[in-house]
Amino acid sequence: MVGESKVNLFGIINGLLLCCIALMTVYPIIYIFSISISDTASVVQGKVTLFPKGINFDAYMEVLKDERIPRAYLNTIFYTGFGTFINLLLTSIAAYPLSRPDFIWRKYWMFGIVLTMFLNPGIIPNYLIVQGLGLTDTVWALVIPNAIWTMELIILKSFYENMSSQVREAAVIDGASEYRILFQILIPLSKPALASIGLFYFMGHWNSFFLPMIYLNDSSMYPLQVVLRDMLIFDEGGGKSLVDAAALAPQAKKNATIVLSMIPVLMIYPFVQKYFAKGVMLGSEKG
Amino acid sequence: MGTLKHIKRDRQLLLLFLPCLVFYIIFRYGPLYGLIIAFKDYNVFEGIMGSKWVGLKHFIKFFSSNDFVLLFKNTLALGFFTLIFGFPVPILLAISLNELRVKWLKKSIQTLTYLPAFLSVVIICSMVIDFLSPSTGLINKLIAALGFEKIYFLIMPEWFRTIYVSSDIWATMGYEAIIYLAAIAGINPTLYEAARVDGCSRLKSLWHITIPSLMPTILVMFILKTGSMIRIGYEKVLLLYTPTTYEVADVFSTYVYRKGLIESNYSYAAAVGMFEALVAMTMLLTANFISRKAGGKGLW
Repeated sequence: MVGESKVNLFGIINGLLLCCIALMTVYPIIYIFSISISDTASVVQGKVTLFPKGINFDAYMEVLKDERIPRAYLNTIFYTGFGTFINLLLTSIAAYPLSRPDFIWRKYWMFGIVLTMFLNPGIIPNYLIVQGLGLTDTVWALVIPNAIWTMELIILKSFYENMSSQVREAAVIDGASEYRILFQILIPLSKPALASIGLFYFMGHWNSFFLPMIYLNDSSMYPLQVVLRDMLIFDEGGGKSLVDAAALAPQAKKNATIVLSMIPVLMIYPFVQKYFAKGVMLGSEKG
Repeated sequence: MGTLKHIKRDRQLLLLFLPCLVFYIIFRYGPLYGLIIAFKDYNVFEGIMGSKWVGLKHFIKFFSSNDFVLLFKNTLALGFFTLIFGFPVPILLAISLNELRVKWLKKSIQTLTYLPAFLSVVIICSMVIDFLSPSTGLINKLIAALGFEKIYFLIMPEWFRTIYVSSDIWATMGYEAIIYLAAIAGINPTLYEAARVDGCSRLKSLWHITIPSLMPTILVMFILKTGSMIRIGYEKVLLLYTPTTYEVADVFSTYVYRKGLIESNYSYAAAVGMFEALVAMTMLLTANFISRKAGGKGLW
């Protein structure tokens, strides 16, 4: 009996502790959201600590009137959609030949690909290549230099390897070309794997800020993250005043901007988390 | 089968593979060629080949400057503190989640804790700045309410590492716990049953079964993290540092960015970047070697 009560106490403390951790994780996000929809007076007086006080959407209206945000939003959607499509296409057509045990020079291709995971010459040589190819200030600069992530390529390759070779053999007997096998049989069958790696590519594009920052000079092409950085971190004037950037622009407007940029990701997150977890697992198995 | 015949047989596969080949040659091996400029005085108008060779000039300049020691210290310190404080957190989180027997609660807590993994570094940094702001930040309001002086966190060098490391833990603990949770899920349930029959309490079976079974995963993760310690998240540093905190916050990558892309010292920055890459590669190879020696699995 003594053992039983000990177990319960342990369980209760553990549960409470975990609830605290979960609260700490989501608290900043709820707080940001509450500020963004509370009425201005409550925000200014600092009355909002967790839940919104009084509801108004003025901050959102103001953000949407600032023409930079809607445009940056559309840019991000375009870069993310197009980029992820290119990523998945190139990764698929590269993974398929590599998954074939008898593909010519396969050992050497794989060696060359895996080797690049250890060779990372850094920002400058990459920048010079992109600039040298004339990609600066085009969408290609964001899409092509990272068209294939080696880890995702290896994950997809092992996925294809594990698919029954009989599927392929049957197709070959039926006279299907390699293109048909890949596009009409393997790709439709590998939706779970494509969803996992596609999600990582998607997040990579949606959240990317460093590459657009260095490769795009034309501010009308900026994606959301770069505009957010300019607005939230280097305040409007461009000068660095981290000390108290929050005081310069109305807090509600800033938070409304943050919330708007998070909405799509938060909306897909409950639906994609199983793929996300799967992706993390696949990735860790390989590395 | 002759090579020519083999090529002919695999021609469709080769055609599919061609874009990948071109990609790796241009964007993964091409930059290695660009590293030549670390040994030249790169001039945009003369190109990589046309620029003048200067040997190790940029390396010598870097190694003999004060920046070298500072950057090395900062990079290692940020990496080291992130490792020491951040590494145990996901393990503990996974273990306690596993001990939570209320299924729906366990699922919701897990879902909530890895939410930050979906947020961009810009958002995370702007939240940090917002919370620490002296005038409107919640933390400073709390400090003021308790009767203390407000702290200008982001311009104070002594706070930078704490801010960096704690926000990093906040953002990554749930995400990293996934790996440990999966490892726990892989433990043979009969072990727990046997322990219960033998009269083990839950704490005891946690100590004698869960933790020992997790050790191989923990070891491999630790060694790999040590290996990539030097590759710290420079995007976050870039967003959080100010000129007043450069002395503790500046790391190799941010320095390369400033010297190279802002001040256009391409050759010098490339030399610094090359040094960083060499250190990172050495650490990773060493870590992998140790990981394999220790009986775990390596990266390859």
